[in-house]
Amino acid sequence: MQAIRKLPETDAVVNDGVEIKIENMSVRFSDRTGGGAIDALTNVSLDIRQGEFVSLVGPSGCGKTTLLRAIADLQEPTSGSITVRGQTPREIRLQKKFGIVFQNPVLYDWRTARRNVCMPMELMGIPKQQRTATVSEMLDMVNLQGFGFKYPHQLSGGMQQRVGIARALAIKPEILLMDEPFSALDEFTKEKLNEELLSIWSKAKKTIVFVTHNISESVFLSDRVVVLSPHPGRISAIVDITLPRPRHLAVKDTPEFSALVSKVRNSFEGV
Amino acid sequence: MRNWKESWNRFSTVFYPILFGALMITLWQTGILHKILGADTFTLPMPHRIYTIIKENLPVIMQNVQATLIVALGGLFLGSLLGYLLGVVAAIFTKWGKGGLTLASAFNAIPIIAIAPILNNLTKDVSPNANIRSMVAKILVVTITSTVAMSVNAYRGLTEIKPFSMDLMRSYAATERQIFWKLRLPNSLPFIFTALRVSVPGCVISALVSEYFAEYIVGVGRQIRENIVLAQYATAWAYISVACLMGIALYVVLLIFESILLKGRK
Repeated sequence: MQAIRKLPETDAVVNDGVEIKIENMSVRFSDRTGGGAIDALTNVSLDIRQGEFVSLVGPSGCGKTTLLRAIADLQEPTSGSITVRGQTPREIRLQKKFGIVFQNPVLYDWRTARRNVCMPMELMGIPKQQRTATVSEMLDMVNLQGFGFKYPHQLSGGMQQRVGIARALAIKPEILLMDEPFSALDEFTKEKLNEELLSIWSKAKKTIVFVTHNISESVFLSDRVVVLSPHPGRISAIVDITLPRPRHLAVKDTPEFSALVSKVRNSFEGV
Repeated sequence: MRNWKESWNRFSTVFYPILFGALMITLWQTGILHKILGADTFTLPMPHRIYTIIKENLPVIMQNVQATLIVALGGLFLGSLLGYLLGVVAAIFTKWGKGGLTLASAFNAIPIIAIAPILNNLTKDVSPNANIRSMVAKILVVTITSTVAMSVNAYRGLTEIKPFSMDLMRSYAATERQIFWKLRLPNSLPFIFTALRVSVPGCVISALVSEYFAEYIVGVGRQIRENIVLAQYATAWAYISVACLMGIALYVVLLIFESILLKGRK
């Protein structure tokens, strides 16, 4: 039995180009206060290709964060399935192939920027020399060279979030999951970071799943925009973003961009 | 503008207390304070006389200071260690832990005057040396009085984790042990200092009071009592002043440690 080595299932899936496969997934939160249960997500099916930049966009309560958390194995689906590279999300999480960026930067305020970026590598037992080199490389990538020895409260909100991104990228994850990472930032900083994120994405070549409630942001960044609607949370449309790459902020002034924004906006149901 | 205000704030927190102290000592030394309180210089000697006594008896006073410091710091260390460990246990078994700590807080309500004689009695067979067995009894008193503050604060520091911090650790598949060392323990550090800000002054007071009831006559607190009994009020006041200085000195040391160890935090 064991002499015959089965080819890893992942190869087939990777060749297929599908990295994350979600089939008929539902998440239901039982309401403990006695009311009915809440359908956070119903019958969601979605394929995300390797290297693709996909946004999940929708109003509050549409389940976009729940969907991201389910992919990350931070939330158990009630029914349906998710496979990531042919494996379960848990297996992928235990292999530490997810990099997650949260709504707030979640930096440890007792650690400098450098040591925050270093933290996941410490958990993985990566030798110190390699950690130091990677931290420098990551801080360069997010344009924070020279700020490594600052503590979080000495950095602006945008810088803190960039440290969060550097930390997520430091363990060289296969998939980057971002949960409204820029929602707390001002418009100027957000647009700048959007542009930077695209340049990071083109260098790092990761699959990115990006949650946002900002339509313009989702169109600017993505290959595809997945539009979710609430009550119950569901996918109401998937919009292909055909804008050429590399994209710069000027693309926002084109009629094509405006048309796509309208298309996404008109896809919402029951808001 | 803001910087100016900030530095004035920092300056005034030191300046006002010193100004107040200087004013009191001036009133005291000029005898105005005696008139206000209706006291005489026998029961309330002049500051310069207290100072002279401290200077002339420095070697003896330092022996007593040493005895009191061993009790205060020994008890503080043991009590804080025990308190922190209780906090860790409560954080591991959250279900019972929180209730257990509430129960433990009741211990704080027991007055030192009540436990000191009891512990004296309980430790009478610990050592044939009266000095040592008194030391053990006194340290135990301080241990008990500084445990609860630390356990409650340690529990809070270990469990009050910022939102998403846990998700972050889980997303990296961190083990419970890693979560403890990398997240919970450093998160609890400011809470340790919150506890110490209460228990450092507390440990000096507990040490002084426990000495009153100890079998062996030594320590700053005991000397206050002995000298009052002998109506040597000037000497008693010398020890009272030394006791105050000890408390202040320990608090300053604590603040220095805090500023070093919490450097960089908000």
